[in-house]
Amino acid sequence: MSEILQIESILNKDYESVDLVSFQEWFENVNKLSKLSVGIIVGPSDDVSLIKDQLDCIELIVLDFNNFDDGRCYSQAYLLSKRWKFPGEIIGINAHLDQLQFMIRSGVTSYVLLDSYLGLDEKDYANGFSICYQEAANNSGLQKKY
Amino acid sequence: MYQYSPEDSNFLVERVDQFEKQLKRHLAGDLDDAKFKSLRLRNGLYMELHAHMLRVAIPYGTLSSTQLRSLASVADKYDRGFGHFTTRQNIQFNWIELPEIANLLRELSDAGLHAIQTSGKATRNITADPLSGLTEGEIEDARPYCELIRRWFNLHPEFSWLPGKFKIAINGAKLDETALRIHDLGLRLVRNNQGQLGFSVFVGGGLGAAAMIAAETASFVEVEDILSYLESTMRIYNLKGRRDHQKKLRIKFLVRELGADEFSRLVNEDWQQTKNDPNLKLNLVELEQLKKDFALPIKSLNLESFEEKVDFNYSIWKKNNVRRHKIDGFSIVNISLTKLGAAPGDATSEQMRILADLAEKYSANELRTTKRQTIVFPYVRKDQVYDLWQSLEKYGLASPHQGTLAQIVACPGRDYCDLAKAVSIPIATRVQERFNDMKRLLDIGDLNINISGCENSCAHHHVADIGLLGMQKNGEEYYQITLAGETLHETVIGKKLGPSVSGEIIVDAVETIVNVYLKNRLDQERFTDVFKRIGIAPFKEKVYE
Repeated sequence: MSEILQIESILNKDYESVDLVSFQEWFENVNKLSKLSVGIIVGPSDDVSLIKDQLDCIELIVLDFNNFDDGRCYSQAYLLSKRWKFPGEIIGINAHLDQLQFMIRSGVTSYVLLDSYLGLDEKDYANGFSICYQEAANNSGLQKKY
Repeated sequence: MYQYSPEDSNFLVERVDQFEKQLKRHLAGDLDDAKFKSLRLRNGLYMELHAHMLRVAIPYGTLSSTQLRSLASVADKYDRGFGHFTTRQNIQFNWIELPEIANLLRELSDAGLHAIQTSGKATRNITADPLSGLTEGEIEDARPYCELIRRWFNLHPEFSWLPGKFKIAINGAKLDETALRIHDLGLRLVRNNQGQLGFSVFVGGGLGAAAMIAAETASFVEVEDILSYLESTMRIYNLKGRRDHQKKLRIKFLVRELGADEFSRLVNEDWQQTKNDPNLKLNLVELEQLKKDFALPIKSLNLESFEEKVDFNYSIWKKNNVRRHKIDGFSIVNISLTKLGAAPGDATSEQMRILADLAEKYSANELRTTKRQTIVFPYVRKDQVYDLWQSLEKYGLASPHQGTLAQIVACPGRDYCDLAKAVSIPIATRVQERFNDMKRLLDIGDLNINISGCENSCAHHHVADIGLLGMQKNGEEYYQITLAGETLHETVIGKKLGPSVSGEIIVDAVETIVNVYLKNRLDQERFTDVFKRIGIAPFKEKVYE
């Protein structure tokens, strides 16, 4: 059975269910959807710069980290969070334990781990280091050396 | 000499701790092969033909005697008493047992050494001129810049999962000992018309099946803006680089597909968003501290009364292996590890300990490694060069081959490497045997031969005077010959001579090429200059007649 989550809604930080639409659906129905407080699922190949002027109308953004070696989602998180200052949540789905440190520092605000990692200690991977060598979207808790 | 701070050392330990947990999960069956491969490569660990291989970084090619002793200890304890110095200022150990890797890495971290990002699709070890700080006419010692950029891209959250590997070289000298334009990204220290220090940036170089010379994407980036410029370059690569084709992952393919002008425009457009962010400025206070840490540990000496020893063998070795130092009273000594039948760059643990002791006695505890897989002693008093040579001679390390044809660069080849199509070391040995006459070698002069066992081009055969690329044809080993590549004065990809040549007669072909060169050489003309003047035809005619 595939571990990949096929989701139509997700809980936000206040535990309220938010409907999700794909990147493509958003553009096909942008006038309607921008009034409905929905979230968008962004895939690694989606060009996030296309939504940078619509961020105020988006409730939350879901980034898909399923492909272990595909680093595009980290740049997407950085651009949304740091450069365009998206005010809502950036949720990483299909997250891998070993990549939490990179996701969080790139600007992901919360995450949903793949089921196969359940039971393992997330803290070891989310906060494995005491120091950081570079500016990032989120360096909280890290001693800065740069 | 620069050393890591306690925080840096602690970071290395934290990285080992994390990798050890991942390794335990893998060994327990909780982390699959594909994901573990991606993680182990980022910690320098390969699965080779016979066992695991670990690549350890030698940042900017600089080692202390203590560090070299630590590497010797690792060679004894975890390898079979050998280490292999690579062409990119790393050292590799074979025969590593997987369960022992964490202990090995901990021992290295005690000496301020690590294997972080020596492989995998991230920023690799940043290389520098092995003569940084030592030669006249240098704009600046590149190593403080290497260190600051190395740190910045160390586990960078945004750029640790790039489409392909990302190799950076930085040069501050007149001649390019780093071969920066065959790197994914090369930085050349320059001064602009106002005398300000900055970098020219070159992107998209690389060897392999599609050898390319990096294009200049910026002629001048101020020193304090270099981090944001590099981030923009990597961001464009990360977002737009090919991930769908295994052979087109490197940034050179993106630069070629977009065109250098369009690639530069995209980088520049992104850079305008971050250029003025104070958090992305290079820390100039830290830079000044690093310049002090990397300052040469010697002062000029008046050795006017010193008389050079007269000894035939010494003078041959000195002619080939000793270079002028910018500080009066000192010399730069190059030590070749080349031995018949051994892999170029291979050193035994005993040799490493001897070199560490000699560097302690004669070179202020410091050694450098080079892309020609040799060892440099950067600070040898002129009146002690003879004593050093005698010691090297005693231990079989006084090979006078530096800069001659016998100083061959070769990858491990099919004897050791899973990817290789043909052997490299036995060919190097046969060439050395054929030219095993010092008078002949001195007559030929500075001519380099590089041998790669496959298209991955680990021995940089494209940029050698004579490059050999191993391949298979109907189950037999053949070698494609390229001529007149170079990187020192300018960057030129060697020209293919013609059809590949069987392994049986490849050494004859090399000798023929050398003879054509000697016959046509005017005065002390270099191989590449003869090639430019007479073209490829005379070489082709003789090799294939």
